[in-house]
Parts: sequence; structure tokens; C-alpha cells
Amino acid sequence: MFFELVRRNSRRNRKENGLFFGSLLVSIIAFYIVLSLSQQDVMYFLREMESDAVNRLLEMIPVFYGLTLVILFFLIYFAGKFQMERRRHEFGMYLMMGMRRGRLFAMLLAEDFGGSVIALAIGLPAAVLLSELISLVTARVVGLGIIGHRFSFSPYAVALTAAGFLMIKLAAFLILSIKISREEIGSLLAERPEETKRQFPAAVYAVFLIAGVLGLGTAYYMAIRGISWSRIDRMAFTVVIGFAGTLCLFFGLRAVFGLIIRAGGKDRKLHVFNVRQLQENVIRQSSAMAVSSLLILAALCCFGAGIAMVRHYGDDEHILDYTFTAEYMDEENTSRKKADETMSTLRENGLAHEFSDFIEMKVGSVRTSDDPDDTYSMDVVMNLISAMPATEDRDILLNNLSYMTYPHLIALSSYNELLDAAGRPKIELGEKEAAVYMDTDVSTEALRQMMNEALTKRPETLLDRDPLYLTGEVQTTALVTVRSITLSFALILPDEAFDYYTQGEYNIFVDAILGNREESVSLMTAISEMNAKLNETGLEYESYLQNMGRQLFYTVATSYITIYLAVVFLIVANTVIGVQFLMNQQKTNRRYRTLIRLGAVYETLCRSAGKQINWYFGIPTVIAAVSSIFGVRALFTGILSSRTMGSVSEMMVVSAAMILLLCMIELIYMIVVKRLSSRYLLTLMVPEREE
Amino acid sequence: MNAILEIEGLKKYYGRAGNQTKALDGIALQVTDGEFLGIMGSSGSGKSTLLNCIATVIRPTAGKIVMQGEEIQSMKGRKLSEYRGKKIGYLFQNFELLDNLTGRENIMLPMSLHNIPDRESKKRLSRLAGYLEITDVLDKFPSQMSGGQKQRVAAARALIMDPCMILADEPTGALDSRNAKMLMEKLSGLNRDQHATILMVTHDSNAASYCRRILFIQDGRIFHELRRDMPGETQQEFYERILKVMAQLGGGSANVL
Repeated sequence: MFFELVRRNSRRNRKENGLFFGSLLVSIIAFYIVLSLSQQDVMYFLREMESDAVNRLLEMIPVFYGLTLVILFFLIYFAGKFQMERRRHEFGMYLMMGMRRGRLFAMLLAEDFGGSVIALAIGLPAAVLLSELISLVTARVVGLGIIGHRFSFSPYAVALTAAGFLMIKLAAFLILSIKISREEIGSLLAERPEETKRQFPAAVYAVFLIAGVLGLGTAYYMAIRGISWSRIDRMAFTVVIGFAGTLCLFFGLRAVFGLIIRAGGKDRKLHVFNVRQLQENVIRQSSAMAVSSLLILAALCCFGAGIAMVRHYGDDEHILDYTFTAEYMDEENTSRKKADETMSTLRENGLAHEFSDFIEMKVGSVRTSDDPDDTYSMDVVMNLISAMPATEDRDILLNNLSYMTYPHLIALSSYNELLDAAGRPKIELGEKEAAVYMDTDVSTEALRQMMNEALTKRPETLLDRDPLYLTGEVQTTALVTVRSITLSFALILPDEAFDYYTQGEYNIFVDAILGNREESVSLMTAISEMNAKLNETGLEYESYLQNMGRQLFYTVATSYITIYLAVVFLIVANTVIGVQFLMNQQKTNRRYRTLIRLGAVYETLCRSAGKQINWYFGIPTVIAAVSSIFGVRALFTGILSSRTMGSVSEMMVVSAAMILLLCMIELIYMIVVKRLSSRYLLTLMVPEREE
Repeated sequence: MNAILEIEGLKKYYGRAGNQTKALDGIALQVTDGEFLGIMGSSGSGKSTLLNCIATVIRPTAGKIVMQGEEIQSMKGRKLSEYRGKKIGYLFQNFELLDNLTGRENIMLPMSLHNIPDRESKKRLSRLAGYLEITDVLDKFPSQMSGGQKQRVAAARALIMDPCMILADEPTGALDSRNAKMLMEKLSGLNRDQHATILMVTHDSNAASYCRRILFIQDGRIFHELRRDMPGETQQEFYERILKVMAQLGGGSANVL
């Protein structure tokens, strides 16, 4: 009998609070995915290439796990609280009928445990599948091919997921049930009177509203201006004032509702009823809503900033596979010798034919002048740029160019070979002409465009007091596979001029491109095999994959962490809002019954509830979305290095798009809650015999 | 006098054959325009079921209910909702005011539900509020009102759409005697001065003595009928006659528990 009751209650709980149950499933999946991160294909690959960084990331996983535990604990506590509240009367009845408190406690514990086990039974297989899918998709997207894909089931992750999940459920359950079990039977049985919160004059709410807006504004101003990021106490102040601002804003919303009702004029289709319902819900739970809004904000910021940064790291073209002698040497003539040695070593070991192409990339500096501060001047270019409309980008470019008094030089023939390998048209330069090279890593699209505009005028510059005309477009094709070697500004000179200015002393990087490989062999395999062969020769080399691995690591780390956190925050916020709404609806079912008696049809009630849901979800979401624009911008201020700062506006666009995407997820949640609400309202349409 | 409500052979059975409860077992009655009809009976006699059938809250097993020439069982959708909103006004024992709406908003709720322009109703609201003495609580929430005020606000809500008939389900059930008296005086005043048709279910003989005619129900059937001899019979005399019938019925509410 006891277990039958437990089983039935447990099933009823799942049915009545499906949204909550669904969120439990998602949280199990979230736990498992973060814990099984180390088993992902991408991580296996990265560990080979960048083991230090990967290990550091994996060391941080317990921190994320802990953080997720805390956040999800609150979710379970809140939702569990609503559920318990609803069953107060039932508990009172059990006690009245002589059930001992201990037995009631045991029954609830058994119900809770049963529910958790079912959630785990459904959630874990789903989590394993999803994690597998993510592993495959990322491997595909990243272009590793599916070599070495292994089934990434991780018993360790399963065990920790189950343990963590059960632990927070038990903790929430204990706190809630202790509260309930201390109450008297009478107060359990009695319908809880609606708590009438103390009302303040409208002016008080207006003051809170204004204070909230001011608080939020100050916090964002400080964060975007970078004031907060300079010292930890300032950051703490910003966080506190932002948090307090949000709380005040939600508390003060009552003033807005008051105004809406007063200004309402026509009361059509339950307009006043809807606003009053919202007013009551928003006010009674203003702090819960504020916290939900902050969580949505956190999700939007994580997602927006994360994706934008990933995109920033992500665009890299692949032409070269290897660079040998990837070191910069100052000693005279060693470079030529080294390059020749490399080639002969490759030939001796029978490896040369495995490459389809070798490019000797010649890079040097001006040796005809002794004064590094005054070797090169481009006043005309600077003037042209100064004449352009004043923007932050223009000032950055001017500032950068003012330091370029001693540029690197690149030989035209070797650069053209590179262009040829990339399948791009070669550039042609006349005597006294040069092309400008700027690496994509250290210049932004906007800066290069400004430079291009200046170059159309074929400006005259002075290289070691000789006139030199800049032409063509800014060149950006990477010279070597090594990303640590970047040229923020260099001149591509015809070979004669190059030889003259460098006085025949320059560096040679030997770039190599692997020969055609069979379709079935992925790039990773080809490079791995070649690495093994090269290691035997003792040659120094850098491969594309090594460098890409570094990039990939940033991409994967940023995207995983931000998206993961965003998902967790979103789930918690939406579940709290959704469950709160549905529970309130059930708590106030008498009102809906009265409306039915007064002649409200089902459609009218659904429309009314739908409107309430729109607002109930909409208010925190809109406030969070507006805030997130500032929030992402503030994150960029704090996180981005100064050289990537230039592309903030591009990244903001990406972030805005992502924020919009997440708002679509909100929409889905709203539709689900509307469905649940309509289903509940339908049950109210059947009259209840009350006597 | 023409009948606005006619009920014939009304039956409502609960449960399956073999274990059936006959809540209503062939009720026939007529309510004429401007009548104040009381329905009395002990708990479980079927009086509330009768009221709920008229209010279309529950569907009868058999029989006919005709309101102003229209059979209400055949109504559906919009028509049904209009019937609930405009043809009848319902007064509940527990007032059923929405506690998050002010008195005024509660009274205007039916207008809002049926999308009626509120210029006309505002006039009506101030007249009703004046008559029911609730003008100064219109902007208060139910939690700030006394029981009597709540029930009078509920009465205003039942009357705001100017319904053909008011259905009152034990309207004095949750009121103390002073407030009950005041409410009954207001209701009978409405009946007398504005010819409001009222059908009231009650346990309370005192409240019932305000009616012109009383039907007694027992086990789902009409068992007795009393008419007040107007204008000869005083309310006190009528009250005593009611008490006698209640005694015959087996004590009425006194014998419930």
C-alpha cells in the first residue's frame, strides 16, 4: 500500500509538473556533458597537440561542475518548494488520518528518490547520445575527419552525474521537508491565506524604478568604460550596484502596472484582470524574477560574447602545411645555409617528393640605413588617412602607422609563389613600387579598408630617403605556418630592390605543402605520419595542425564553456519563471472558475493566460536582452586584448544575432508554458461539485 | 404574468445504474417575470444541483430548461457564454470576488469579458453602488472589505449586465445576521422597485421570508410550495409558516449534522 501510494504520487508529480521534470532531464544532460568533456574527439586531438593548455582546461572542469551544482540546486529548491506548497493540504490529511511524521517523511523521500531515478534513467542515455553527437559534429565542423572517433561513454562522468544530481535533490528535499514537517496540522489543512504584501504609496515604487535604472546604468557605464576592470573592489562595487539595480527595477515595476491600469481606459477582453494578475505575480515574486532576469542576462552574455570570440579566432585559411627553420636569425648568412641544409636533409631522407611544393619565404629588414627611427616615413599616407572621417579606428590606424619607421621587407618573388600556391593572382610591381603587407592577426578589416582607400592614391613614401610608391591592395596571406611570427606592417618589394635594401642578408623560411593524399586519409593522419618521419631527421619544423591546434583550443574552450554556461543559466531561469507561473495559476484557480461562471469561454481564458505568459516571460527577457547588449560590450572591454579591440563593432553584431537567437529559445519556452496552461484551464472548464 | 423560466421533467442522476444517486428526479417549475422565488431543502436535497443546471454549470440527465422561450441545453459556444454573462447573474455563497481586483474592477469584470463599451455601464455602476451602499469601497481590494460589503459588491457584479434573472446560491450563508438582513433587504428592494427576477436557494428561513413564493425540495422532488399572501401577510407571519414546513421536513438545517 505504502509503495503503491509512493508510485502513484510520484507519477502524478511528474505529470503535473512536467516542465520541472523536463528541466531535471536537461540538467542531468548538462552535468554529463561537462564531465565527459575529456572524452570528446576534439579533446583527444588537442591533448596531443596542446597538452598543457588542455590539461589546464580539464582541471577547471570540477569548478564548472561545482558551479553548476550550486545553480541547479536553486532550481530544484525553488521548483520543489512550489510542489510542496501545493500538496500542503494533502500532507495535512495524511497526518490527520494518523500517519506518523516519520512515515510521511519516508514517503516523500521515497517519492523524491523514485522521481530522481526515473530522471536519471531517461536523462543519462540521452546525455551519452548527445555528447556523442556533439563529439562527432565538432570533429566534422573542425575538419578533422572522423578518424579515430571512439564511443565516448565515460563511467566516471556517469557516476559523478548521478552522484551530484542525487545530492542536490536530497539537499533541497531535506530543507523543504523539514520546513513542512515542523508545521501544525491545522495550518497545513487550512487554505493558505493569500499573503497580502504591505503596500507602499505609488511614489515609493516610482523611486525604486528610477533607482533601479540609475543603478544599472552606472554599473554598465563603469564596466564599458573599463573603470570596473582596473581594480577588484571597483568590480565588486559594479556587480553589487548592478544586482541591486535589477532588484530595484523589478520592485518598482509595480508603479508601471499601476499606471497601465489607471491609463487603461477601455477594459476589453480581461485587460484589467490580466494586468492585475501580472502585477500580483511580478510583485510577489519580484526578487525571483529579478534573479531569473539576471540569469537570462548571464546566458545571453556568455553566448553572445563566446560565439563572437570564437568567430574571431576561427577564420583562418589553410595553404601551407609545414614551415622549416621557423626561427628568426640575426647572424649573417646562416639563413641561406640553413635553408639549403633543410632541403638536402629532406632529399637525403627521401621525403622531398612527398611535398608538392616548397616556397622559400624571404623576409628581411632595411640594412642600408643605420637609424632605425628614421628609415621609413609615410607622411603622405598619414595625411590621407587623417583626412578621412574621424573614427576610433582611424585613430588606431594612425597611431599604429606612426611606429612603422623600420618596416620588414618581403621579396616579391617568394610572396608571389605563395599566392600561386593559394590559387590567387600574382601581384606585379614596377620599379620604385611596393605593396603593403598586414597580418590579419594584428589588423582588423576596418583598418585594412582604410589603408586600401589610401593606397588607391598611389602615395609616395620615403624608404631610406628614396621615393617609394605604394600600390595595389593590402596583402594578408600568411607567410608561414607559425602563428607566433606575425608582421603587423611590411613592404613587399621587387627582388632587386629587396636585395639592395637587405644587402643580401635576410631570413629564409622554407614553407612546404604536402603532396596529394588519398581521400580517405585525413589531414591529421597525413601530418601525423609526416611528423613521425620528420622527427627522425632531426629537422626543426612547425606544422599547420600544431598551430591550428592552438587556435582550435581557444575556439573549443571558449565555445564549450560559454555555451555550456549559457544553457545552464537559461534552463534555470526559464524553469523558475515557467514553474512559478503555472503554480500561481493553479493557486488562483478559483479566479478562473469564477470567470467561467461569469461566462468566460475556454478561448477567452487561454487568450488571457497567453497574454499573461507573454508579459511574464517577456519582462525579464526584454530587460535581460537590453542589458545584455551592454553586458557583452562590457565583457569585451574586460576580456579582449587591446589588439582585438578594433573589431568590437563587428563582434557586437555577431553577439546581437546570437542574443536574438537565444530570445527565440525563450519563445519556445513560452509556447510550452502556454500549452501547459491551456491544458490546465481545460480541466477547470469541467465544473466541480463543491458542497 | 408571463413565465421567463420554465422547467419540465428535470432529472440529474449521478453514478451508474445499480448505484445511482438521483439528485433531481423530475422537477417542474415556472418562474414569472419579477418574481422572488426561494428554494429550500435540507443538505443533499438537490437544490444547488437545480441552480447549477439553470446556470449551465452542470448538464442535466433529462428534461427541459427554457429561458425566455429558448432551450438552454442546446446552447453552445458564444451563445452559451452570452447566456451566462447576460441572461443570468450569479450570486455565490462565498462571494467569489477576485481578490487581486478592486471592487470596481470586480463589478466591471462581466463587461470586460463580453467586450461591452463601458460608458453605459459606468452610469449603471454608480447607480447600483449608490443603492447597495458600496460607493466608498469601490477602489478597495476585497481583503479590505467586510463580508457584507463583499457580498454587496458581488451583487453589483451580478446585476451590472442587467440580467433577466438573478440566481443566488445561499447568498447569506457566509454573512452574520446583521449583514444578512441588509443584503436581503437590498435584494427584495431590487425585486420590488425594479422588478428584478430572483431565484434564491437557501437554508436560512429568515432569508427565505423575504421571498414571495418558496418551493421545498426533498430527495430531488418538489415536496411543498408556500406563497406569501400579499399584501395581507406580514413577513413575520410568513416566516413562522416557513418554520412549520421546515419542522415537517425534518428540521431542515437544524437536522443536517
